[in-house]
Amino acid sequence: MQASEDELQRMMVGGLDGDAAAHRALLRALVPLLRRFFARRLRDADGEVDDLVQETLMAIHTRRGTYDRTRPFAPWAFAVARHKMIDHFRRHRQHLSIDGLDDILVTEGFEAASGAAMDVDHLLATIPDKQAQAIRDTRVEGLSIVEAAERRGMSESDVKVSVHRGLRALAARLRGDL
Amino acid sequence: MLIETLAHDVRPVPRRAVERRMAGALATGGLVAVAIIPMTIGLRDDLAAALAGGTFWMKLIYTLALALGGTAAAIGLARPDAPRPRGLWLLSVPVLLMAGLSAHELLATPATEWMALVKGESWDRCALNILLLALPIFVAGLWAFRRFAPTRLRLTGAMAGLAAGGLSATLYGLHCPEASATFVLLWYSLGIAVATLGGWLTGPRLLRW
Repeated sequence: MQASEDELQRMMVGGLDGDAAAHRALLRALVPLLRRFFARRLRDADGEVDDLVQETLMAIHTRRGTYDRTRPFAPWAFAVARHKMIDHFRRHRQHLSIDGLDDILVTEGFEAASGAAMDVDHLLATIPDKQAQAIRDTRVEGLSIVEAAERRGMSESDVKVSVHRGLRALAARLRGDL
Repeated sequence: MLIETLAHDVRPVPRRAVERRMAGALATGGLVAVAIIPMTIGLRDDLAAALAGGTFWMKLIYTLALALGGTAAAIGLARPDAPRPRGLWLLSVPVLLMAGLSAHELLATPATEWMALVKGESWDRCALNILLLALPIFVAGLWAFRRFAPTRLRLTGAMAGLAAGGLSATLYGLHCPEASATFVLLWYSLGIAVATLGGWLTGPRLLRW
């Protein structure tokens, strides 16, 4: 049974109000969601998925004061998870390569279902619109360069350059240079 | 098991917990800085008279505006799902206004007197004192961030540094008798800017979680 956004949020607010049972239920419900979030994006060498699930649960617990009750819960929780994953990349790979970004850009399945299809949008919102659009067309929707160029009325080289610059900006952003 | 351990420590979290915690930290750090001033550099002798004049408040409004801007930005950045920060350009407004005051002041003064406006009596220590006084405030801010979840660590560090520097400069006004807008524009701003830069440089390491 997968908890819905409403249930998760209710448990979270209960925990914020001091209800230990609600908080425990929330953390339990998050375990499978987080495990799938990380398993989708990591190769899971040396049990890193379980480590990240634990670290994320701890962060969600100690930093729960940053959750705003008037906002949806899942995007907040997955933002914590994403940060933990990026931090993991920083620690274990000196250079986060542009190729590795495609893993992070993947979004589908349960996150969309639980109202947290924020991953890509959130990341792409940090770079200029034109680059974000080119990345969305080619990497998320899977259009070819030619198709993306036609759709946007841009030249093919313009699309390519935008994708490349956008990915480079994202990589810099994820490395924490920004 | 981890979840059981965590579920044993479920203290209620008030609404607006981020704002409260940040305000508490800045107040604590600010009190430490206020306590340091009379013990080291001293309060300005004419403090009571200065409170009745305009320049004291001109300085206070300038530095406090920067402090509040930095604080508001840092609070926004404390949430992991924070949208891309907008409106950071507003931070330039107080600086531009102060530059206007300075220009007005310089135009009303013969060029031979300009160096007096620039240097005052204490140009060589103003920025450093502001930076030193900002340290306890910055440390208090770091303490607050132990419960926050920023994802843009450099920018967050810079805004925390700006908040600390701005508040420090505000409190430094209790000591510093300088009254020229040009002096404030140059040296107060320098101290605040270096505090901001310090936060920008150290943010990724100090705010990591």
